[in-house]
Amino acid sequence: MARSTSKDAQDLFRALWSSYSATPTNLKIIDLYVIFAFFTALIQVVYVALVGSFPFNSFLSGVLSCVGTAVLAVCLRIQVNKENKEFKDLAPERAFADFVLCNVVLHLVIMNFLG
Amino acid sequence: MSKLILCVFLTFTLIPLLCTSFSSDTPSDRRVLVLLDDFALKSSHSLYFNSLHSRGFDLEFKLADDPKIALQRYGQYLYDALILLCPTIERFGGSIDAAAILDFVDSGHDLIVAADSNASDLIREIATESGVDFDEDPAALVVDHSGYAVSASEGDHTLIASDDLIKSDVILGSKKIEASALLIYILIALCAAPVLFQGIGHSLNPSNSLVLKVLSASPSAYSANPKSKLASPPSLTGSTISLVSVIQARNNARILISGSLSLFSNRFFRSSVQKAGSPIKHDKSGNEQFLTEVSKWVFHERGHLKAVNVQHHKIGEADEPAMYRINDDLEYSVEIYEWSGTAWEPYVADDVQVQFYMMSPYVLKTLSTDGKGRYFTSFKVPDVYGVFQFKVEYHKLGYSTLSLSKQIPVRPFRHNEYERFIPAAYPYYGAAFSMMAGFFIFTAVHLYNK
Repeated sequence: MARSTSKDAQDLFRALWSSYSATPTNLKIIDLYVIFAFFTALIQVVYVALVGSFPFNSFLSGVLSCVGTAVLAVCLRIQVNKENKEFKDLAPERAFADFVLCNVVLHLVIMNFLG
Repeated sequence: MSKLILCVFLTFTLIPLLCTSFSSDTPSDRRVLVLLDDFALKSSHSLYFNSLHSRGFDLEFKLADDPKIALQRYGQYLYDALILLCPTIERFGGSIDAAAILDFVDSGHDLIVAADSNASDLIREIATESGVDFDEDPAALVVDHSGYAVSASEGDHTLIASDDLIKSDVILGSKKIEASALLIYILIALCAAPVLFQGIGHSLNPSNSLVLKVLSASPSAYSANPKSKLASPPSLTGSTISLVSVIQARNNARILISGSLSLFSNRFFRSSVQKAGSPIKHDKSGNEQFLTEVSKWVFHERGHLKAVNVQHHKIGEADEPAMYRINDDLEYSVEIYEWSGTAWEPYVADDVQVQFYMMSPYVLKTLSTDGKGRYFTSFKVPDVYGVFQFKVEYHKLGYSTLSLSKQIPVRPFRHNEYERFIPAAYPYYGAAFSMMAGFFIFTAVHLYNK
């Protein structure tokens, strides 16, 4: 068994990147959206660690809006992925309509809970 | 015509008398019934009665078995206080019995009981109900072979010179001696003449927390029949023997119980006293001062407190609110006065506390005073809502009990009393709204990216 080197790691990431480049653009947009939600949540967690959890309901709703958004986006990504055979009977338009409806409900709840 | 004038005159002279006697603003007793075994006591104990009379008490002397004596008529008590100088009485005359006397005390009146050796069962019963148990041997006397009073005539050491008094200025009065410390010691040694006592000893019922020893026997005393040989150990020994005790009941009625009738007598008042083993011979015993001061206490001429003008309000406001909100800052004040026998004087102490109480005290603060009777403090209402009480429970040795409570509800914040936007929460608001904006942008991009 050959020893792994930093060159192997670079090769690994390059292979990962090249295979990811083949992903359709609409899925890449969803990934970007998930990353955005993830970092927004991370910022809030750092903030609550620094400042304290005083308006705890606001903190919860802020973080949960990010988490909810990310979860819904991932669900959408699963459903609109052409290679995913499980949802091949489900039209992408239908999946998107579900996504919009769930987001509306999510943000209604978040606004109520925000304070 | 002259009868009418007499009637009018009597009415007008009696009105102020009746007014003072029914006024609760003067707690001192005025009308005192003295029950005697024998009218000879009236002259043999005249110094004591004169000292009461000179302080404005209206003494009414009756024989204890007089069939016409009554404590109350038409439900009203005729007297404010009762002095029982009748140790041997088996049955009172009239409608009085032990229960009637205890009812008299229960309704807030004062009582002085003098027992003696051969005290009757009736007197013993009254004492037992008050928390004091006399020696059961009827012939027993308190004997002290080292603390006796030197006297020419009595050799059985039953005449005791005791100076073991309770340390309480309010019960015994304070002798205001202003001098250097050394001088004070000399003066105390010279002035504090021992109290002469000859009679039966008693012990305090340990389950009664209201009864106090005012004059205790010395550690070398014991209670036994001095005429018979001491066969078995005496039941009462040492300083557990109380010679004179006082009780302040929960309704502030005061009782004095003495084991000696001659304690009150002119003979003991005037007698010179020299305690065995002490080189100092006092020209006059301490009985007169002791009994005068204790009687002042018993008859509420001293140590009687009243609290008036309880006020509380939010800081910065003057009116008393019907309700507080959690975390309000409030001020509480109360005025406390002590009855000096003639007037209400400001009571000054540093240990009056107020509780903000709901099942248990949430706030307990010592009140500060301005020296003119006003006590005040300020504190923050706890972060708990419910029905609270301001409570002042002041129990101090010798003083009458103050028990004030005033109910006040405390409510939580109303919905519109919270801040609409909290600055600390702005990042969370920003996150929620950026998620919404992100949703719109994502929707647009997702739909038009073909």
